[in-house]
Amino acid sequence: MGMNEIHWTVQSAYPVLATLQLLPLAAVVVLLLLRGRRLLYPAAVGMALLELLLAGDLFRLFDATSSSLQLAERLPLLFFPDYHAAVDGMSVLFILLTAIISLLVVLYAKVKRLENSRAFLATVFAIQATLQGMFVTRDLLWFTLLSAVELGLIAYLLLRLAKAPQDESAMRRYLQFMGIGLLLLLAGTFLLGWNYANASGGQWSFDLHELTQQAVPLEIQSVIFFLLFYGLGIRIPLFPLHGWLPLVAEHGTVAVAGVFLLGLKTGVYALVRFVFPLLPEAILRWHIWVAAFALAGIFYAATLALMQDNLRRLLAFAVISHTSLLVIGLFSLSQTALQGSILLSTSFGTATAGLLFMSGFVYRRTRTLIMPRLGGLFGHLPVIGTAFLVAGLSIIGMPGTPGFDAVHLVLEAAIQEFGAMVTIAAALGNVAAAAFLLRAFQGAFLAPRPESESAIEIEPPTRRERVIAGLIILVLLGTGFYSQPWLALLGHSFDGLAELYAGTLHNGGIPAAAQ
Amino acid sequence: MPEPGYPLLSLVIMTLPLGAGLIWLAPNPARARWIALLTALLDLAFTLLIVVRFDHASGDFQFVEQHAWIPSLNIKYLIGVDGMSVLFLPLTVLLFIGVILASWTSVRSLPRLYFSLLLILESATLGIFCALDTILFFLFWELTLVPTFFLISLWGIGPHRRYAAVKYTLMMLTGGVPLLFGFLLLGFNHAGTSGGAMTDKLVFSYPELLAAPLPAELQTAVFFLLLLGFAVKAPVFPLHTWLPTVAMEGPAAIAAIMTGLKLGAYGLIRFTVPLAPAAAQEFHWLLAGLGVVGILYGALMALSQTNLRRMLAFSSLSHVGLVLLGISAFTLQGIQGALFQLLNFTIVAGGIFLLSGFLHHRVGSTDVVSLGGVAQRMPLLSAGFFLFGLAGMGVPGTSGFPAEFLLILSALDTHTGAGLAALAGIILGAAWFLGMFRRAFLGPMHNTAVIEAVDLRRRELAIMLVLGTLILAGGLFPNGVLEMTRLASESWVENLPPR
Repeated sequence: MGMNEIHWTVQSAYPVLATLQLLPLAAVVVLLLLRGRRLLYPAAVGMALLELLLAGDLFRLFDATSSSLQLAERLPLLFFPDYHAAVDGMSVLFILLTAIISLLVVLYAKVKRLENSRAFLATVFAIQATLQGMFVTRDLLWFTLLSAVELGLIAYLLLRLAKAPQDESAMRRYLQFMGIGLLLLLAGTFLLGWNYANASGGQWSFDLHELTQQAVPLEIQSVIFFLLFYGLGIRIPLFPLHGWLPLVAEHGTVAVAGVFLLGLKTGVYALVRFVFPLLPEAILRWHIWVAAFALAGIFYAATLALMQDNLRRLLAFAVISHTSLLVIGLFSLSQTALQGSILLSTSFGTATAGLLFMSGFVYRRTRTLIMPRLGGLFGHLPVIGTAFLVAGLSIIGMPGTPGFDAVHLVLEAAIQEFGAMVTIAAALGNVAAAAFLLRAFQGAFLAPRPESESAIEIEPPTRRERVIAGLIILVLLGTGFYSQPWLALLGHSFDGLAELYAGTLHNGGIPAAAQ
Repeated sequence: MPEPGYPLLSLVIMTLPLGAGLIWLAPNPARARWIALLTALLDLAFTLLIVVRFDHASGDFQFVEQHAWIPSLNIKYLIGVDGMSVLFLPLTVLLFIGVILASWTSVRSLPRLYFSLLLILESATLGIFCALDTILFFLFWELTLVPTFFLISLWGIGPHRRYAAVKYTLMMLTGGVPLLFGFLLLGFNHAGTSGGAMTDKLVFSYPELLAAPLPAELQTAVFFLLLLGFAVKAPVFPLHTWLPTVAMEGPAAIAAIMTGLKLGAYGLIRFTVPLAPAAAQEFHWLLAGLGVVGILYGALMALSQTNLRRMLAFSSLSHVGLVLLGISAFTLQGIQGALFQLLNFTIVAGGIFLLSGFLHHRVGSTDVVSLGGVAQRMPLLSAGFFLFGLAGMGVPGTSGFPAEFLLILSALDTHTGAGLAALAGIILGAAWFLGMFRRAFLGPMHNTAVIEAVDLRRRELAIMLVLGTLILAGGLFPNGVLEMTRLASESWVENLPPR
């Protein structure tokens, strides 16, 4: 893989990537030091907006026509791997999404009456800083450690906002799963570093560029692959490693944790960024198995989702179902597949965040998300209902949402790699997803309001709720009908990977028949 | 006539969403229906302009517009019309105008949402008739589902309307899967034959796909995938189960759109047969067989129903069967008859469902037992119903006659047994309609709701007069329509390999 880098001084007047990470950190400091609580919330919104502007500037500076890594920054450090950051189109996409989602979370704080919680707002910005760090770094160890910090911060959010007694069990489950995931990830990271040191005479490195120079011996590739894959698979979450999610989704009191964990698919990002380029032989050896598990996951999760009564648990299974489709796309391994899957993961992420926010708004009014006790909300909350539906439709890949183009790309690539039957099955799994999402939408918004609940007055959406719902509709429909910039952004991100895997793939299924 | 310098077809498609947006900007929700009506009338003017400017002497696509949409996959915004599709545009708009007027007073809750969804549905439907890129076609195809889902679940008249909405949407999404795969297969084949990297050479443009030969084994796959995809929508027996449900539970106005616009049959004519011609001819017996089964099953089921709307749904199944039979003949007569019949349905099936909606609005039921003697209180409504019923049977003088005549003629010629069965089906169709008409519209009145009901109002009468005039005009002067579809139909037949 060629790794040409363009230094930031060539493209920009300031180190954009460092600023992107430092601004949220500065926000943390400001929020913690700010006297009084009156200015807390305005300051937070301002900082989040500033970060979004900065991400927009990154999008402007980034040259999508070049296949080089861009805006690179390097800083040697003592006793620690060098700070090395650079972005390609994929990173830019995730950075933009992080900025948008963080802004929505800050706005959501007001809705949840958390705008005066110094700790909450500071934690949100700290999470933002770690996320941006994860998306710009070119160093595997940095990524792993930042990921540990991020999961810890989210655990703090869950713990701090816990109210009900069951939350404790959810918390425990979360910590167990994530702890194991992190351990696996760390082990894989160290094995890679050790392999590099072994081959280069004691010189340790975790830098992606250097690691790719040193081929990993075949006998340990599979071991490292499974360490990293399972480590990331737990947080993605992949069937059958998803055990923590339904419980956390049901009992985690706020949507915020879910939004950060599920809205930003860092696991998927890490697979493409680090695992795919480093362990090609292991990937090729196991990708059929991964796809088979994913296919089972689509239907397993869809079936369970159809059986849920609780909206939050239903959403949890929806996430598992759609990430399985995502994984089938990823492991189709062609340029089309990677573009489609990454686009899909951002689209799913935004949509999932939307669904979580909207169900949060509903919960605030009804104090329950058990579907037989909901209903008749569309007349009271049309904007929230519409945003819920648009988000649901993006997950199904309905035309007019970003899911459409992305699912299309994924299916196209999957046909080439896994054949028509697998792909048709995956597409039918998507129909199953449509079944439970439409059922959820009808149950919550269109069905008549149950008699027993008629005492609860449904207050109209507040201005801030309208803004959040409106932003989600706008982002989804806007990128859906005008997907070209995002596809162009990913135009050259996977040149290297496509080259690496070119000619090694099955050409099964339809194209073979066509020739 | 020269083509205009402005994108007329895009204007036809895009005016409607703009109108839908305008509905939300207007301060008064009661204005929604007026905005919807005016937008639809403006659109009607555009479509009529297209028909007037359409060049009869050319069998090619006209008013073609092309823009890049997803360049990396060679997917284009490519639209145009030929003789096969051009007449569907004004009729579709007309049917929607009828639906808007029919919903004028009956839609009380959330009028803004209702009328804007209606306009969006109309826009997507027109897009289906104009799209010449298979993926763009698929986009419009799926885009119709969202408004339909809402329209059925929020304004349906049956108690199980939400179930009906989900059933319809899921069946259509499932049908969309083979459809999309058929199109992808075609794209891949083109990429495979022209060599080079897969994604650079994908082709989804319909004219280009038509020009590319398809290997035999792939034709069979494409044929069955596309047949399956369109059969769900048409609907073809045994994939029709959504139609009676939607007809009973959905709003009558939406049922009029579902049964009036036979998009599935249009898809079969436009895509399935021309893109897999050899396979289609090989499996002509399947098409004819499905057609005959549909005709007889639909007619028999209609005979045994007790509810007017369910009867109409099943008779619509019978009509689709006849169209299928006409397609399976692969002759000029057959295809022209099929197209004529589809155009005819837009008016007849749409109109008769709107009438049954008016009836339901007045009486609160369309069960035959709760009707009886309707003609005494509502002579105009009954006369309209009778006229539309006659057109559905194909009685001479109505637009149904030339269509059914061509269809039966071509069927007798190519599939004699099937043709005879179709004749029997038409007789059964006459039997159920006349029997139902006698029980529901004639005879003594026994329901107080019928006794107190008023006849068609001016607004309702206007719809029926326009549609009725078109039925008579099509029956007495069929040549205009046949001339319009002739060249495109000829090239459709020529595209088939010689048998």
